[in-house]
Formats: sequence, structure tokens, C-alpha cells
Amino acid sequence: MNIRGVILVLVLGLPAAGLLAFGPRGLHEVPPDRTIVRYWEKWTGVEGQAMQRIVDRFNQTEGTRRGIWVDYNALGDVDKRMLISAAGGDPPDVAGLPDRFVPPYADQGALRPLDDLAREFSLDLDAFKPIWLSICRYDGKLYALPSTPYTIALYYNRSLFRAAGLDPDHPPQTTAELNEYAQRLTRFEGGDPTNPRAGRIVQLGFTVSPAMLGWWTWIWPYFFDGQLWDGRRFTLDTPATHAALGWVRELRTAVGNDRVLQFEGTSAAIESAQNPFLSGQLAMVFQGPWLANWARVYAPDLDYGVAPFPSVTRERQHVFASEDVFVIPTGARHPREAMVFLEYVLRQEVMEELCQAHGKVSPYRLPGSEFFARHPNPHIHVFDEMATSPEVFGYPSMPTWAEAWTEMLYLLETVMREAREPAEAIRMTQTKVDSVVADYERMAAHRRGGAR
Amino acid sequence: MRPARHSLFTGLLWTAPWWLGFLLLLAGPMVISLYISFCDYPLLQPPVFVGLANYQQLVHDAVFHKAVWNTVIYASTAIPVGTVLAVLLAILLNQRVRGQAFFRACIFVPTIVPLVAAGVVWMWMMNPEYGLLSTSLRTVGVAQPPLWLESPRWAMVSLVLVSLWFIGSPVVIYLAGLQEIPEELYEAAKLDGASASRQLWHVTLPGISPVILFNVIMGIITSWQVFALPYMMWRTRPGPDRVTYFYTMYLFDNAFNYLKMGYASALAWVQFLIILALTGLVFLLSRRTVHYRGL
Repeated sequence: MNIRGVILVLVLGLPAAGLLAFGPRGLHEVPPDRTIVRYWEKWTGVEGQAMQRIVDRFNQTEGTRRGIWVDYNALGDVDKRMLISAAGGDPPDVAGLPDRFVPPYADQGALRPLDDLAREFSLDLDAFKPIWLSICRYDGKLYALPSTPYTIALYYNRSLFRAAGLDPDHPPQTTAELNEYAQRLTRFEGGDPTNPRAGRIVQLGFTVSPAMLGWWTWIWPYFFDGQLWDGRRFTLDTPATHAALGWVRELRTAVGNDRVLQFEGTSAAIESAQNPFLSGQLAMVFQGPWLANWARVYAPDLDYGVAPFPSVTRERQHVFASEDVFVIPTGARHPREAMVFLEYVLRQEVMEELCQAHGKVSPYRLPGSEFFARHPNPHIHVFDEMATSPEVFGYPSMPTWAEAWTEMLYLLETVMREAREPAEAIRMTQTKVDSVVADYERMAAHRRGGAR
Repeated sequence: MRPARHSLFTGLLWTAPWWLGFLLLLAGPMVISLYISFCDYPLLQPPVFVGLANYQQLVHDAVFHKAVWNTVIYASTAIPVGTVLAVLLAILLNQRVRGQAFFRACIFVPTIVPLVAAGVVWMWMMNPEYGLLSTSLRTVGVAQPPLWLESPRWAMVSLVLVSLWFIGSPVVIYLAGLQEIPEELYEAAKLDGASASRQLWHVTLPGISPVILFNVIMGIITSWQVFALPYMMWRTRPGPDRVTYFYTMYLFDNAFNYLKMGYASALAWVQFLIILALTGLVFLLSRRTVHYRGL
């Protein structure tokens, strides 16, 4: 072999030898005779570590006794990966999904119904608050089990309330009152002394903008006694939606929409010191219990309160509830072993440990005695109580929600930017989503025909 | 084995990595996607043949029309602006001046910045409150600078501006083309009394016309597939008044968010045919304007 041959062998051979010697080893720590349960989750960072601790404890205790090893993997876009792996015939045994994926995935046959397994394992489903279980059902069947639930409330900055002459112990009780408070809490700078409101906004009372932590862009009609899905039809073009978007428009025009848009350009991620609520730029925000985790890190001295988000009337208290859920995909190889693991995670003390670490509420009707005392969010009882409101609601349980969600986002953007009159924008969105639902039904009919 | 057959066998064997890869990873999936475009296929259930339903749906789909319109506007703005600017920059960088290599590097370096990183940087540059652009405009007396990414009127303009950040690659290709033009042509033009602008029009541009054609075709292909920058800069939102919602974004949404693989495949095939038709049209129109040396 000449010198070029030697060099070629070295160039190709050395990396290969290196890979063999030091490359990935897979699950070399799995003890023999264990059934491996593959568990895919979306959580990373602190949330992922909390789950990893529980998985480790399971593997050392119950897993050892029952001959099961849970292999925990944190993945981005876990919903898409789960779906593609299920389509490829090699799904994980357990996956952690946001609840909004339950209806479309169940409808597509991607999720295994869990009613039989829940009975077989004698899971006490009545121990959960009804809302958390109803979110897990689709078309009368149980397709998921509650993981870490949350409700969304109004956070308000008590110091800014005081500075604006508002009572910090009296947060707004109706949507009209919220608008009034928002105006009083908005401050301008650099304007004409005769017209200070001509200046730039340096502090905004409240906004529904997705750029300013208003993540639930479709939600506002619910606070005006509306709903988006009646089980058959998308019900957007109703007086409730018109009232809601009129309220949004009024909220912005009262302080100058151009100025609000400019101010919203300063948005930053929730997990940062520039978080507009934590930095005092935004006086009120519609957010979940996890915000307290970031407040502790970035604004430990922030004096804030939490209250249910106001509805159009004092008599009703509409509450948005959502949760992460556990599912067993269709085609999972070890569904019973997966249920052994889920049965362990759903033990009240284990589940509440996880919910505490994630800064969320407990899914149980009666949270454990230590749950509130040890919880990192000092207002967690408010979020927990809200889950029992008679007007509590979750994501619309429609199979075409992903498209409806996009259209709702577009609708809000259109109204916020005054690109169209709300009535016209609502009519257009209703037409578009109607056609999406009609297409879905047409394709479903094709499918039923094809299946015969 | 006869020598000719032996040669064929040897050739096929050595080119096997390419043609196997082509058949399995490109041609095969393309044929399957063509079939799927005539099906309802939500990924987890077997495809059900629905004939032309997906293509018929495109005709009535307002979001599809909007995405096509946005893509047409973007392509018909970004390609001419990018081409003119790249040619001018290449001509400037071709001048023999001190620091020539430095200036060339300055133009090329932005292209090696990853697309996502560049998107984030430009999001901050165009921030209406703190961004460099708005702050600079306020400094020179513009009281209400544009809202850039947040404004339906300015969002598309902003994206075209950001696309110019990656102009370095075509500039390098134009530079190579400029250096291929024989010096004698310029000398002859000068002897005939041609001014600098006439030299540009009658020598330089015809000289690099094949390069311009190549870059325009590449521009058509990339513009019709624009995805990462708007997806990144508007944080997966459709942009203000959906003005930055492009063809490939709608295709992606249908495939992976709405699980409509059949409809997404139909979209992909229509996109492929549009790009093919536009490329053919450009070739046809370029017959008289592109000059190949020696032909």
C-alpha cells in the first residue's frame, strides 16, 4: 500500500474507530430483564428535571418490582414526532402532549382509548376535578390522563395600581371595568404638555396582543358569554364575538392604536428580565400560574396580585382551563407497562410534586395538605378555585381546531391592526372556518365510503 | 462479459450512490407525493383516493390565493431589486482600489450568518421602539418611523430589505462573471469612443448576461420557496394582515399542523409546476438577450 492509501485508510478508519470506541451507547444502564417503556415529553430545563427525578424514582422502586424501565426523552415538537412515529409504526409507549392535540389526534386514530386500561388498573378517575377529566375525553371516550393542569388568571401590579390611584385590593370585576383601569394605568412620555397622550406609551394598562404574553388569541368571546364550537358547527359570528372584538378595539383606540402597536414592538420572552409585566411596562396581564416562577427570578420584589379574569357581567366567572396530558399512542408496544408507569405518576403525592415543580395547580378535587403551603406561587389557591367555576371551559373540542386557531389568530391581528372592521373580519373568518369544517366532513365521508 | 456491457456495469456500480439516492430519496417520494395529491391522507390512516378534489379546493381557497399573491409580490420585488443591487456591487468590487479584498469580504460575510440568527438580528434592528432603524430615523427628525414588521404596509418591504442581507452569494458569482469578460472588448469600446455607461450597457451587461440568467432563475426558485425568514421573524404568525404568509408556509401548515398531506402534496405539485413554468418562460424570454461567448 502506498502512502496515499495509508492516508486514505487513516482518514476513513480513524473516525470510524473513534465512533466505535466513544460513540453513543444507547441504554447501557438498563438492568437486564426489564421491559423498556419509551416516554417522550416536551419538557426541558427545570420542568424536564422534575419529571426525570420521578422517572428515576420509578425505575428504582416500582419499576424494579414490576420489571419495567422508563426511558425518558425530552423532545421539541413532541406532537409532530409522535404522530410521524405512529404513522411509521414505531411510536413511543407514552407521550406528553398539550391538551389541544387530544381531539384532532383522537379523531385521526393516533391515540389509544384508555377507558378499558383505566378500569383494568382501577384508576380512581373521580378523584380528579371534573374539568381536568373532561379535557381528556373526546367523542365520549377517554384518550388521555391529566398531567400538569392550569387555569389562566389576571395578574395585576399592585404598586402601579396605587400609583394610578386604584385600590390594589380591588382588581377589575367586569370587562368594562378592566378597560377603565387599563386607561388609567397607561402612561405617556414626550407628548405635548397640553396633550400628554400624544407622546409615546411607556406603560400600558392591558393588551390582548400575542406579542405581549396574550397567548390565547381565540379566547375573548368566551368572556362575553360566547363559545366557538357547539359540537357540530363553528359558532363565531355571534353577538358575543362582536362584543369581544369591539371591546378589544375600544381597549386600543382609547390610548391610540398606533402608539399601542409601537409599544407592543418591545415585547420579550416570558422567561426574561424584559418580560413586560415583570419589568413594570405592562400593568395587567392574562397569564398562567407559572409566571410566579419567573417573577421570583427576575422581579423578586414585585408586588402583584392575582384574580379571575373579569367577564362581561359580575354574575358569571368564565375561566379558561388547560393542561398537559399523558397519552398512549396507537400501536404502542407496551401499553400495560406504560399504564403501570402512569398509575405511579398519577399517585397524588407524585403528581402534586410534579405540579409544584412546574408551578401549576393540582388536578385533584382535594389537593394534599402540603400542596398550597409548599407551592412556589403564593396565589395558587386562586388558580385552583377557578377550576371549579361553573363557567370553566377548555379548548374547543373540534377535530379541525388547528386551522380554526390559525384563523382566530388572523382575526385578532386584523382587528388589532385595524386592517378591517371587526364585523367584516368576523364574517370572513366564519366563512373560512365553515369551509374548513365542510371540507373535513366531506373528506370524512370519503373515508367512510373508502372504508366500506 | 463484453467490454461495452462491462463498462456500463462498472459505470452504474460507481454511480450507484447517486442514482440509488436519487431513486429512493427524490424520484420515489415525488411519485408517491403525486399520488397522494389525489388522496385524502391524514398521515395515520391509509390514503383514500379523492380524484381532483384537492386541486379543485385550491381554486376556492382564499388563503391559498393570498399566499400565492404574497409570494408573487415578494418574488417580483426581491428578484429585480436584488439583481440590480448585486450587479452594481459586483461592478464596484471589481474596481482595482486599495482594500478591494476587504470590501469583498464585507459583502460576503453576512451570507455565512445562519438564516435564523440573521432573522433574530433583523427583528431587533426593526423593532419599532428600540430598533436601530427607528432610533436612527427619530434622531434625524422622523417623529413617527414605520412600524416595520408590525405594519401591514411595511412588513413586505422589511422582508425584501432583509433578503438583501444575503446578497453576497450572487455578488461573488457576478464578480467571477465580470472577470471572464475579455479586456480587449473594453479596449475596443474605448477606441470607438464609448463612455463608461455605454461600456456598461454594451460590454459588461451582455458579458455577464448568462450569469444574470442563472441568478434570476435561482432567485425565482428561492423566492417561491421562501419560508425560514418570515417563519422566524413573525414568530410563526401569519404576519400583519397576513401579508407575510407565503406559499411554502401554507404548504407546511397543511402538512404538519393541519395533517392534510393530500392537500399539501397538491400544493407542492402546483408550486413545482409554477416554478417550472416561470423558469421556462425566463429561458424563452432570454433567448435574444443572453449572449454566450463563441455562439
